[in-house]
Amino acid sequence: MGVREAVSGAERAKVVVEGVSKQFTRRGEALPVLADVDLEVHKGEFLCILGPSGCGKSTLLNIIAGFEKPSTGRVTIEGEVVRGPDPRRVFVFQEYGIFPWASVWDNVALGLRRMTDKGEQHDIVQKTIDLVGLSGFERSYPRELSGGMKQRVEVARALAVSPDVIYMDEPFGALDSLTRLTMRSELIRIWESEEKTILFVTHDVDESIQLAERVVVMSARPGRIADIVEVGLPHPRDLGSPEYGRIKNRLYELLGVEHSV
Amino acid sequence: MVWPFVVIAVALVVHGVSRRWPDLVQQIVMPLGVAAIGVALWQIGCDMSGTDIFPTPWDTVLAFGDIIESDRLLGDSIASLYRVTWGFVLATMCAVPVGLVVGWSTRSFWAMNPIIQGLRPISPIAWIPIAILWFGIGDGAGVFLIFLSSFFPICVGTMAGVRNISLVHQRSAANFGVHGFELMRRVVLPGAMPQIITSLRIALGVAWLVIVAAEMVGMDSGLGYLINDARNMGSRYDLVVATMIVIGLIGIVLDLLIRRLETFEEVKWGYVKQ
Ligand SMILES: Nc1ncnc2c1ncn2[C@@H]1O[C@H](COP(=O)(O)OP(=O)(O)OP(=O)(O)O)[C@@H](O)[C@H]1O
Ligand SMILES: [Mg+2]
Repeated sequence: MGVREAVSGAERAKVVVEGVSKQFTRRGEALPVLADVDLEVHKGEFLCILGPSGCGKSTLLNIIAGFEKPSTGRVTIEGEVVRGPDPRRVFVFQEYGIFPWASVWDNVALGLRRMTDKGEQHDIVQKTIDLVGLSGFERSYPRELSGGMKQRVEVARALAVSPDVIYMDEPFGALDSLTRLTMRSELIRIWESEEKTILFVTHDVDESIQLAERVVVMSARPGRIADIVEVGLPHPRDLGSPEYGRIKNRLYELLGVEHSV
Repeated sequence: MVWPFVVIAVALVVHGVSRRWPDLVQQIVMPLGVAAIGVALWQIGCDMSGTDIFPTPWDTVLAFGDIIESDRLLGDSIASLYRVTWGFVLATMCAVPVGLVVGWSTRSFWAMNPIIQGLRPISPIAWIPIAILWFGIGDGAGVFLIFLSSFFPICVGTMAGVRNISLVHQRSAANFGVHGFELMRRVVLPGAMPQIITSLRIALGVAWLVIVAAEMVGMDSGLGYLINDARNMGSRYDLVVATMIVIGLIGIVLDLLIRRLETFEEVKWGYVKQ
């Protein structure tokens, strides 16, 4: 596959996580959530972070995105230490991050509000809304949309600014299984055509194998990286192939779950 | 004594009508019926006590004729509404910006919250002597008192609205580089808006309560003054009750007007249950 070769050719680290740990204090007691995480994300890579609920996936992604400070260690992006969020790297939230007081159109246009060329701004917003299949809902408000539609507005808001890096925290969790499949293939199409670096958090094993080039498996309490599994399959991926089954077994094994009942 | 028979007859009619038109009965006939029972009890009370000071319902209807004829009703209503409007508008213009800033910035919250919470429990009525000292008897004192009584509910409501803005929305704003004044206009103000509107509603209700009391104590016009005047000028309790009814009706209209703010698309999300 073309994109993969281009990436392995460059093989330049985009996001580097070095010795990151995080503890919260809960009722005066230290609660270690992440322990000593080291990770390199390549430029243009689609990376999934997979782990059981509560293992610290969201915390790790929030630290990488600059919303939270690590207790120790640091995150650098192209050599620059992350000190806070940045419009070049957009976060798609696990709970709805779109503004309920703004219409679909205004939500998607949020990141483009400083564009001077209003005609171009209009075209981009319309194109992005069409892309996520919400044509006709431009003037609707989030409370009038279904959970899946709201999630798509959020994805559109991120795509509209054409960011370098997209952080996605279980973005398709609220969708029905059919919409989820469509959204996954849309995401892959966008990723292949625009060479974005995507960090995608999920607790769904199949989702991670369908999307990722590499899957980072985390173990729980305190969260640490158990292993990183390469998914060397070209898109579109055949979910019935023996290779797919082998990777799936490996991931379940790492998660410590018996999946054949 | 015909009243018991009237009540029974009304009850029978309501029962019959409710079978046919349940909505009409629930929304119109029932409330009117309750009001009619209230008026009937009022009349019965007057009959039984044999009072000649307290007005009967019909005396009150006639009293409306008197206050309208004497030209007091319109002038005094306008005087009260004038003070409430100015005090309320000025309070909104000051309290919303203060509430936005104090609610958003932790530093100004620590600096300002104690003084706001300290002044808030002082009844606006307690300020009347100071209001008269500073502004004399007249509109100035009224506007000042309404300003005080509206300022604190609006300010505290705005602060609470701002502090309730969810972390995800704050983070989205930060992610897209929304800062400073733009942050206030695009995120903090609209995010707090449903609660601001609720606090405006509360404040206007309080303002309408306070102005009547203030006019009874320290002013020489307005509906509160009209009530006092009617009692002092030969115990005209019929005028007192008629004025009270006017006060109630204007209060309902004010509330209906301010509730229209809740119907804007930008704030509806704050009132629907998810
Ligand atoms: N602000 C906080 N204060 C205290 N504890 C926290 C805080 N945020 C997260 N935690 C704790 O850290 C742990 C990891 O939380 P996190 O949200 O990162 O999990 P997750 O892997 O994303 O889970 P899920 O898949 O359910 O979203 C949890 O046990 C949680 O209780
Ligand atoms: Mg999470």
